Amino acid sequence: MVERVVSLAVLAASGAYLAGALALPAGTVARPGPGFFPLAVGVFALAVALVWAAIAFRRSPATPAPSAAPPAAEGRRRVLTTAAVLVGFCLLLPRAGYPLSAFLFVTVLLRSLGARWPAALATGLVSAAVSYYLFAVLLSVPLPRGLLLD
Amino acid sequence: MGPLEGLLYGFSVALTPANLFACLVGVLVGTVVGILPGIGPVGAMALLLPSTFALEPATGIIMLAGIYYGSMYGGSTTSILVNVPGEAASVVTALDGYQMTRQGRAGAALAVAAVGSFVAGSVGVVGIVLAASWLADQALRFGPPEYFAMTVSGLMLLSRLSGGSVLHAFIMVALGLALGTVGMEPISAIRRFTFGSVQLSQGIELVPVIMGLYGVAEVLLIAESGIRKAHVTTVKLRELFPTREEWRRSAWPIARGSVVGFAAGLVPGPATVLATFVAYTLERKVSRTPERFGQGAIEGVAGPEAANNGATAGAMVPLLSLGIPFSPATAILLGALMIAGVQPGPLLISQRPEVFWGVVASMYVGNLILLVLNLPLVGLFVSVLRLPQHVLATLVLLLCLVGAYSLNNSPLDLWVLVLFGIFGYGLRKLAIDPSPLVVALVLGPLMEKTLRQTLFMARGNWVDLLSRPLSLALLLLGVVALVLPPLIRRARRAAARPQLSGAAR
Repeated sequence: MVERVVSLAVLAASGAYLAGALALPAGTVARPGPGFFPLAVGVFALAVALVWAAIAFRRSPATPAPSAAPPAAEGRRRVLTTAAVLVGFCLLLPRAGYPLSAFLFVTVLLRSLGARWPAALATGLVSAAVSYYLFAVLLSVPLPRGLLLD
Repeated sequence: MGPLEGLLYGFSVALTPANLFACLVGVLVGTVVGILPGIGPVGAMALLLPSTFALEPATGIIMLAGIYYGSMYGGSTTSILVNVPGEAASVVTALDGYQMTRQGRAGAALAVAAVGSFVAGSVGVVGIVLAASWLADQALRFGPPEYFAMTVSGLMLLSRLSGGSVLHAFIMVALGLALGTVGMEPISAIRRFTFGSVQLSQGIELVPVIMGLYGVAEVLLIAESGIRKAHVTTVKLRELFPTREEWRRSAWPIARGSVVGFAAGLVPGPATVLATFVAYTLERKVSRTPERFGQGAIEGVAGPEAANNGATAGAMVPLLSLGIPFSPATAILLGALMIAGVQPGPLLISQRPEVFWGVVASMYVGNLILLVLNLPLVGLFVSVLRLPQHVLATLVLLLCLVGAYSLNNSPLDLWVLVLFGIFGYGLRKLAIDPSPLVVALVLGPLMEKTLRQTLFMARGNWVDLLSRPLSLALLLLGVVALVLPPLIRRARRAAARPQLSGAAR
């Protein structure tokens, strides 16, 4: 089932890419333009995706595709939280600045991975401060300072 | 410069304080990431790539290469002591290495692994010098058709060898090539697939893609499996000396492993992993007592451990002589060279001798450092495993985020990192290896350039590509590698069937 959905998604993506490639000037075979190579890649992608989808749909659903065992509910929750916290950091960084984002990132993630509140808070505080000092001050990476420092 | 002169010059470069320090940092980081599950050499190299921007090109490459081969030492340590391979190239070592630990011979296994790695590293340096100089000489005559054929056949070989189905690997290749076309097209300055974004017109950065696929994805897997506590065996220094019998049994496996490993490194694909499997199989085949394998045979540690180190040396050859990387690790090294303004290719040896010879000599120095440091410090390195895993995972993620942001100070790279992290986790769940994607992303622009040059030169005549013997041979090699294994399998099955039905009767 998973394989069918994924293969259809890949098929759709290949189609979209090919459509984008067709909009570029392809030139001729003797004078290939900027669209020539994307066109070739798009055709290749579409062909491979078609074969995959065909195989996925011919395989009877009873024989599952070779893949790792499905995660337990608890594991799936932890993966989803981690992914959500990562996305949260990306959204927060330009708005709240690095120190606050890093603190929240570490604290929330540790807490959801099973650390106790005091440990999570302390690690968050220390790692935000140390990493800010290391990267922004010592290595002069222009990390957004944001709410806390401006 | 002759090979000997070159090496001497290389040592004069590698032994300057800055380069020696870079080498030390590289191999130490490599050892630690080799030990830690969750972050492997590729993720660590991507993570530290931005820190090389301010360094001399040779210094930066020396450090990154140190991580690459240093991780082979670290990986064996945890395989032997804890039965937890720190990275894929040490999985085989755990088979017999951990059995030796259970029999109280952990020290001997560690010592043989370290010495084997060192011997293989030294053999590898000689191999690089000979193979890379020869190949670079040949490559001076290569034109765009040869380079195009090489990239195509390299990707085919990689797809065949990277494990899992070729179909999945092809999808990864297509995705990598497609991502490589995003951004400003260099000849016409037309923006492709940028959707009006200024940032995307610079193209998709390699580093966040790799950090996502190899760093974030691994952490997500750790998060899923939950926190495990490793049971760590302590090893005393005086237990580190193998007996005379153990040395005798390891000598030939180390020699064979070095050669097999180096050769495997030359082939596009997951060289270090493949090398260990080939070496292990080979040792069991030539052994007079194959039944001892899996029960703590020291040959099963010596051969593969030499092989994975030899493979890291072999993998440097196509990178340093042709400027073509065939694995994610060497792709990062290529990225580092390009960012430092060094044009990799057959002219590297003559135009930037300090980079070529310096890096090669530093690999010898680094292997020596690893041999000297590794054994006495085994206890210290292994104690890294006692760090709570969830703290480690969180900090690795934070480092990835800052590292990705620091590339261009742009949130776009952050999004690329996170998206590819989640994508990479999905790939692991579907048992799909992401390395063809990475290599295709790196090779894509070269492939496009050489294809267009070839067609332009030949005035659109496709046949011209095939009339050059070398490019034809390269393409055929790729096709044969792709088509032959399934044909052989089918033939074997056909041959086995009548016997089976005969037996049934």
